Amino acid sequence: MSETKKDESGEEARVGVYICHCGGNISDHVDVEKVAEAVKDIPGVVVSHTDMFMCSDPGQELIQEDINKGNINRVVVASCAPSLHETTFRGAISRANMNPYLYEHANIREQDSWVHHGDPATAKAITLVAAAISKARGLKPLEPIRVDAASHTTVIGGGIAGLRAAVDLARNGIKVALVEKSPFLGGNASQLDRVFPTGEKVADLIEYLTSAVAKDPNITVYTCAELTGFEGYIGNFKVTIKRKAPEDEATQLMLKQVKGAAPGSFHPFVGFYPGDVPAADEEETLTTGVIVFATGFELYEPRQGEFGYGENREVITLRQFIRAMADAPATTETLTIDGRPVRRIAMIHCVGSRQIPGIHEADENDYMNEYCSRTCCTATLQAALEVRDNYPGTQILDYYRDIRTYGHNQEEYYSRASEKNVLFFRYEPEDSPVITKTTGEYPLKVTVVDKLTFNEEVEAGVDLVVLATGMKAKNIDSLVEMMKLPVGADKFLQEVHPKLRPVEMANGGILLAGTCQAPMDINESCNAAQAAAAKAAALLGKGFVELDPFVALVDPDRCEGNGDCIAECPENAISMTPDNKAEVNPALCTGCGMCVAVCSVNGIDVQGWGLKEYENMVDAIVKF
Amino acid sequence: MKVKRDLQFDAIVIGGGIAGLQSALDLGDQGYKVAVVDKDATIGGKMIRLSKVFPTLDCASCITTPKMSSAAHHENITLFTYCTLGALDREKPDQVVAQLRQEPRYVDPEKCIGCRKCEYGCPVYVEDDEQGGFNMRKAIYIPFSNAIPQLPVLDVENCSLCGKCAKVCPTDAIRYDMEPEDFTITAKTAVLATGFELSPMEQKPQYGLAKLQNVVSSMQMERLLAPHGPYNRVLRPSDGKEPDSIAYVQCAGSRDESLGIPYCSRVCCMYAIKQAMLLSGALPLADITIYYMDIRAFGKGYEQFYQNAKAMGIEFVKAKVAKITQGDNQTARLRYEDQEGNGGVMEREHDLVILSLGMVPQWDPAGICSVNCGQDGFIQSILPKIAPTVTNIDGVYTAGVAAGPKDIVDTITEAGAAAMEAANYIKGLT
Amino acid sequence: MSEEKKSTAPTVDMKKLRQERNESITGAREKMKVQNKVIKALKEALSKEAKTIPELADIMGMQTDAVLMYVSTLKRYGIIGEGPKDGDYFKYELTE
Repeated sequence: MSETKKDESGEEARVGVYICHCGGNISDHVDVEKVAEAVKDIPGVVVSHTDMFMCSDPGQELIQEDINKGNINRVVVASCAPSLHETTFRGAISRANMNPYLYEHANIREQDSWVHHGDPATAKAITLVAAAISKARGLKPLEPIRVDAASHTTVIGGGIAGLRAAVDLARNGIKVALVEKSPFLGGNASQLDRVFPTGEKVADLIEYLTSAVAKDPNITVYTCAELTGFEGYIGNFKVTIKRKAPEDEATQLMLKQVKGAAPGSFHPFVGFYPGDVPAADEEETLTTGVIVFATGFELYEPRQGEFGYGENREVITLRQFIRAMADAPATTETLTIDGRPVRRIAMIHCVGSRQIPGIHEADENDYMNEYCSRTCCTATLQAALEVRDNYPGTQILDYYRDIRTYGHNQEEYYSRASEKNVLFFRYEPEDSPVITKTTGEYPLKVTVVDKLTFNEEVEAGVDLVVLATGMKAKNIDSLVEMMKLPVGADKFLQEVHPKLRPVEMANGGILLAGTCQAPMDINESCNAAQAAAAKAAALLGKGFVELDPFVALVDPDRCEGNGDCIAECPENAISMTPDNKAEVNPALCTGCGMCVAVCSVNGIDVQGWGLKEYENMVDAIVKF
Repeated sequence: MKVKRDLQFDAIVIGGGIAGLQSALDLGDQGYKVAVVDKDATIGGKMIRLSKVFPTLDCASCITTPKMSSAAHHENITLFTYCTLGALDREKPDQVVAQLRQEPRYVDPEKCIGCRKCEYGCPVYVEDDEQGGFNMRKAIYIPFSNAIPQLPVLDVENCSLCGKCAKVCPTDAIRYDMEPEDFTITAKTAVLATGFELSPMEQKPQYGLAKLQNVVSSMQMERLLAPHGPYNRVLRPSDGKEPDSIAYVQCAGSRDESLGIPYCSRVCCMYAIKQAMLLSGALPLADITIYYMDIRAFGKGYEQFYQNAKAMGIEFVKAKVAKITQGDNQTARLRYEDQEGNGGVMEREHDLVILSLGMVPQWDPAGICSVNCGQDGFIQSILPKIAPTVTNIDGVYTAGVAAGPKDIVDTITEAGAAAMEAANYIKGLT
Repeated sequence: MSEEKKSTAPTVDMKKLRQERNESITGAREKMKVQNKVIKALKEALSKEAKTIPELADIMGMQTDAVLMYVSTLKRYGIIGEGPKDGDYFKYELTE
C-alpha cells in the first residue's frame, strides 16, 4: 500500500484546513468563518474551507479535490470528537492516495461549541485549530500495524445472549469458548415460564439454542467457569479460564434439583444442565481473537420494607410470582398460592426502576436506578392476564406510572388487560402506593393517590402484592477491573456510541451482547448478540487486524538500555534486545507515553504523537 | 449508461436507509459482495432527513452521512439508487433473484459532476416534499445537500422541456429522452430493510385531515428543526410568526384501533421529547406542551432524557386530545380530556401543533415477494424471540422498521443481526 | 458561451418528446407563468425596504402562507435574505 501513497515527508508541508459547521452544532456557537479566516495565514496553510457537514460526501470530496490537485499534503479537520469521525477523514484521505496519517483532528464540538458560547468559543476554536495545524506540519507518513488474528472467540455468559452469539459465531466457522459461571445454561431466562408476546415456553427457546451448541464442534462449553486471566490485544488475547466445583449454597441447591437427571436436559426455573460439574479446579489458557460480553443482568432486590417487602410474606417479586404460578393448581375459580386463596392481587410497576433523586432512596453506595427496565410492564400485564384468564375469581389491581408495552404485539396485553377487568391506578413517584398490614378481611391494604380519578386517595385490601422489579447491572467488577472496561453512570457496560458502534466497547476486540449493556427483552438480546457476532466475524474474517501505528518507537542511537521504560510500561510491551536496546511490541503498546516520560535520554517517542509535536502544539497555543 | 442485464452478488439489500446500510456494511466488512437497492434517488432513508437524534442529540447527519459514505466507497458494496423492485424471490438454494427497474433520472450518471448548475438554471419551482412541503425546489434537483449519489433528478411531471438545464450543464449530462432500464440481480441471500412511512396525517377527521393551519406532522417538524430546513429556523407555516406556544399530540397515529394501527410506534414519545428540547433551545421563551397517554422512554438513557425534559420546563399533560379545530389568529385549538388535575374537557390554543404520527410499513410485498407479513403489515419473523430477522423464505432476512416499529439504536442492532444470519446462510451453502 | 460548447450529447428528437409530454409541459408552463408573476411582485415589494410576511401579503394581496412559501424558496436559492426581527416576525430583504 505504501507504493500507492505519495510520500510527502521530503516535501514542505502544505496544510489544508477544513472547518465543519456540524449543521449548527458548531456554527451556532463558534463563528466558523472567522476561524477559517484567522488560521488561513498561519505558515504552511494553503487552503482554509468551511462546510455544513464535513463528514458528508461533498465535504469529504472537498478534501480529496485539494489533495488530487496537488494543493495540499497535510489535512486538518476541525469538527466533532475524533472518536466519531477521525477514521472517516483518514479514509477519505486514503482514497485520494495520500497517507492517512498525515492528518490531524481538532475537536471544536465536544470540547468547544458544546461547552462554550460566543466569542470565547470562537477564540478557543482558533487556538485548537492553530495547534492542530502546527502539529500537522510535522507529521510523517505511517503505516498501520498488522497483526495476525486467531479465528477464535470467547463468549462470557451462557444466557440467551451468550448462547445466541456462540451459535452464530460457530456457524460462521469461528471457534468459540463459551464460559458460564454457573453449572447451567440459559441464564435469567430460565427463571421464566412463557415469554411475551408469542407465549412460547422459555424452555423451548433455550433448548433451541443449547441443542445447536451441543451439535456444533466449534463450540467448547465451560460451565462452573470464570475468566481469571487476561492479557494481549485484539486478535491475540490470552485468557485463562478457571473451572471449579460450585460452593455457594444457591448453586448447590439447584444442583440438587437436577441430581440424577441426564445431562443435556432443561429444568424449569433452574436451567439447561449440560452435566460435567468439575470435582476439582481446572485451568486452561486460550488464545482468542475477540471477547464477547454476555454477562447479563441481576434482578433488583427490593429494600427491606420497600412496598412492605421482607416484612410481609404476602409481598413478593414478579419473578417469585411467576414461579408460584407455575406451581399453582391449574384453572380453579380462584388462584391458590401456598395453600392460601388469592382473591385480589396488587401489582406494582417500576420497583427499582425509574428512580428519581430526591424522591427515591439511594442504596448504600448512594446510587439509584434512574433508567426504565423495559421488560417489566409487559411481563406484569402478561402475568395479570394469565391470572384473569385462568382464575376469574382473582382480581388484579395494577399500579403504574406509565404503561410501556412498546414492543411488537405488546400493546394487545394492555388492551386485553382492560377488557379482562384489570383495574389500573396511576401513581406519581412522590405518591407511591403504601402497603400496610390490616386485621380485616385482607391481610394487606394498598393506599394510593390515583391520578386517573383526579387524585382521589384509593384504598384496597389485597391478599398478595407483586412487585415488578427492574434489571440492575450485574456485578462484574473483577472483569471490569482486569480488562479495564468502560462502565456507564447506570453501571451497565458502555458501548462506544449507541448508533455508530453499538456493540463495541472502546477496548479493541471486546464486544457487547445483551443485558450487560442495558435492559433488553429476549429478542432484543438475541439481536444484540447476533450483531456482536457479525462484528466479530468481520474483525476475524481476514485473519489479521490492522491497528493504528500510534505506538512507542525506540531510537536505537539514543537508547542506553537503562530499562526505565520497561519498568514503567503498564502493558509489558517493552523488552530488551540482546544488544541492550529497548524494543517495543507494537501490538501490545497502547501509545500511553509513560515510557517517553521516564526516558532520560529522549530515546523513545510515540509515533504520530511525539514530544516535538506536542512542543509545536504548545507553541501554537501560546501564540494564539 | 450501459444496459445492465444480470448482475451477480453475494447479498442483495432492499432499502438504503440506516438498516439497509448497516446490514450492507456488516456483510461487506466480512468480504461479501453486496448490492444495495433504494427506490429513492439517494440513500440514507428516513434518518438522514431528521434533525437531531435522541438521546445523545447528535445531529442525524453526523451519524448517517459517514455510514452512507462508507457504504458508497466500500469496495464490496454497490449502490443502486432510484430503482424499483418488481419481484424478489428465492429460486434455488443459492439464488435469490430480484427484478429491478432503473428509473430514469434524465441525467447521465457517468457524466454528471454534481455541480447543480442545472438546478440553479431551471425556471420551474415545485413544492419540495423533502422540506415538508414548506418551500420549493426546482424541476431538476439534487434531493438534498448531503445526498448520495450527488446526482440530480429531473422531475418530468413538472418539466417544461425548456432546455435551460441542458444549456448550462458543463458536461452535457442531461438526457431528456432517457428510458427506464430493467435488469436483474441474482444473489445468494437477501435482506429486506424497506423501512416505514409516517401514518397518514389525513386519516383522522378529528385532527383536521391535514387541512388545518399550523398543524404539522412530526416529520415536517424535523425539517423545521434541521440545519438545512425550509426557513432555517422554526416559524409558523401560516405566516412566518415565531411561535410562542407549541404543542405535541402524542399517539396521533398509533395505539388507535379506529385507524387500524393498534400498536405502539415506539419512537414518538422520544422524538417528541427530543423536538421539544430542541425547540426550547431555539425558542427559549416559547411554552411547549406534550399531550400524552403514557410516556414510553424505555431505551438506554431515555428515561433520564425524559426527566431532563421535565426539568427544562417542558409541560407534560396526560390527556387524550379529542379534537383539533382552527382557533383565533391562525392558532390551532385543542380540545382534550384532562386525565389529571381536576379533569374534564379543556380547550387550549397553540401557535403550532405537531401530530406525533406513528409508523406504518413503507413496502407492501404483495405480488412482489412471498415474504409473510403480520396483520399490521410489517414483515413477520418466523422466530420472533430467538432469531427476529428470519423470515418464511429461506435465506431472506429482514431488519429495522420493515419488521416492526423501532428506534434507530434497535434498528442498527437488528441490521447487524440480519447481516449475521445472511453471512451464515452463505457459509452454509458451501 | 453555450454556443461555443461542443455538444457531446446524442441528438434528441425534441419535437417528438414535446408531443409526448405535451400535457406536463403545458402544466409546467402554466405554473411558471404564475410563479414568475408572484416572484416579480415579491421583488418589487422588497425593492425599497425589508418587510415581514404579513406586510408582503398585504401589499401583494396574497395569503400569508403562500407568501412565506415563495420567500423561503427564494431564500433557498440566495435571492432573498433574512433581515432583523420586527415583533413576532422576521423581515426579509433582497440580497442583490
